[in-house]
Amino acid sequence: MLRHIRVNDLQVSFNGEEILNHVSFDVAGGEMFAIIGPNGAGKSTLLKVILGLIKPLGGKVSFENDNRKTVIGYVPQSRTIDEETPILAKDFVSLGLPARAVPWLSARERVTVQKAMMMTECLHLADKPIGKLSGGERQRIFIAQAMVRQPDVLLLDESTANLDPNAQEQMMQLVQRLCRKHGITVIFISHDLHVVKEYADRVLFMSRGHYEIGNSDEVLNGKATEWLYHATDEEKPKTIGLFREPAGQLTDHLF
Amino acid sequence: MFQYDFMQHAFIAGTLVALMCGVIGVFVIARSLSFIAHTFSHIGFAGASFAVYVGMDPLGGLLLFTLLSALGIGQLGVKMFRRDASVSVVLSLFLGLGILFLSLSDKQANFTETILFGSVVGIDMQDVWQIVGLTAAVILILAAGYRWLKFDSFDQIGAEAAGLPIRWISIGFLLLMALAVSVTVQIVGALLVFALMTVPAAAARCFSQSIFGMIVISSILAVLGVWFGLSMSFYTNAPVSFFITSFEAAAYFIGIAYRYWLARRRVPGYQR
Ligand SMILES: Nc1ncnc2c1ncn2[C@@H]1O[C@H](COP(=O)(O)OP(=O)(O)OP(=O)(O)O)[C@@H](O)[C@H]1O
Ligand SMILES: [Mg+2]
Repeated sequence: MLRHIRVNDLQVSFNGEEILNHVSFDVAGGEMFAIIGPNGAGKSTLLKVILGLIKPLGGKVSFENDNRKTVIGYVPQSRTIDEETPILAKDFVSLGLPARAVPWLSARERVTVQKAMMMTECLHLADKPIGKLSGGERQRIFIAQAMVRQPDVLLLDESTANLDPNAQEQMMQLVQRLCRKHGITVIFISHDLHVVKEYADRVLFMSRGHYEIGNSDEVLNGKATEWLYHATDEEKPKTIGLFREPAGQLTDHLF
Repeated sequence: MFQYDFMQHAFIAGTLVALMCGVIGVFVIARSLSFIAHTFSHIGFAGASFAVYVGMDPLGGLLLFTLLSALGIGQLGVKMFRRDASVSVVLSLFLGLGILFLSLSDKQANFTETILFGSVVGIDMQDVWQIVGLTAAVILILAAGYRWLKFDSFDQIGAEAAGLPIRWISIGFLLLMALAVSVTVQIVGALLVFALMTVPAAAARCFSQSIFGMIVISSILAVLGVWFGLSMSFYTNAPVSFFITSFEAAAYFIGIAYRYWLARRRVPGYQR
């Protein structure tokens, strides 16, 4: 069982520009953890570092796991699926299986694929070409592809973007079930503060070099929304200043 | 027609090459590499001419040139070579080089025709064995690497996210393509590698909604095309490649028509 993910003092720069600036936090096993922040804040970058796709300049990510190496399922932010892509949903899900040097799937692997699709409630889409599915249906297939490795952690990069409110709700309930029923730790990025409020146990707010972490009531309130979506660039530095206050006093001083 | 040795050889070699092209073509299309395949065939032409000029076996020259350029393209990144400008520069450069080597060597005319337009009458048993070996190698490697290649070809972002070594897959596939092109050039000629390597796969895309289905249909179309070409050519004396290209083109247009018809009918599960 996964007990903790410890993110310790990560630093990442692209072309000399600091994207992650000494960020540290812990995620507990079985938690629903949200990451919010403006475009370009480095949220996707942070997930990629956790995943090991990007090597940080400094700091590290460690996993405390009881009995095995931690397996991570990741659903990237954008995937261009050509409408003409000649691949059935179930085949698309099976791509995620740990690869072996034989072309066909074993009976066991077929069952794994079916289970993953059942858990993400998309079994009924199995025989449809992926290119013809709606955005919400595709997201389920993407999550199923990540689930097929039987991960301890799911990293979801804006999986509810572009979904209608109802589909968004259904998607998050599904993710919540994966978390609560199957004990999968979920780290998700979202720009939808309602979603974050309702589903996240804790929230990390990040904006270039500034980080706040707490439960959703602490980090989010009406003003935070305003800050995220309405503040102009000139306003931001002084507002960010507030976030620099030591955590704990945060809510008292905010805005 | 099978009483002739050369026809037997042609059928064996042609069938194997067609099978290989049918399978690899599906990935060539999925990875949008058709024009790189076409470029490889021209690089191969230069390689073969070079080999003739220095007195090597043409296949050796073909392999040398195509494999080296596969490595080069792999190093620089495929993206750059998807741009049509790069393709036309490289393609014309090597066509020019090929012509230079040909003019430098003495036995031109016959060889030029063979390497540009393909030939099946000149295949001896030794060539057949070479072709058996190379096609078998390509098909086996494709089978062993199928899962990795499939993931990377149809969902590259997902493959990268899952930690697959996408750069090595890309380079490995280019090398395989170089091998495949070198073998195919000998049958259909440098100018028409397209005919076997991409057209059957493109046609198969119209008939099937699954990768495995596409591979099967594409291989069948390629093999039928080669058989059709060899037989027709035997009885009419017109070039083999002409019949192969006509067959594959017909399959493609029928495929397009079929899709159009399907779309009109609105078959459940297939909305378009
Ligand atoms: N591979 C890269 N090379 C150079 N710069 C990069 C790279 N990846 C990300 N960046 C830069 O890092 C910054 C953070 O990018 P990131 O994708 O992490 O943002 P984000 O918080 O996910 O934004 P969004 O909400 O728009 O998805 C951006 O300014 C981006 O331009
Ligand atoms: Mg992002």
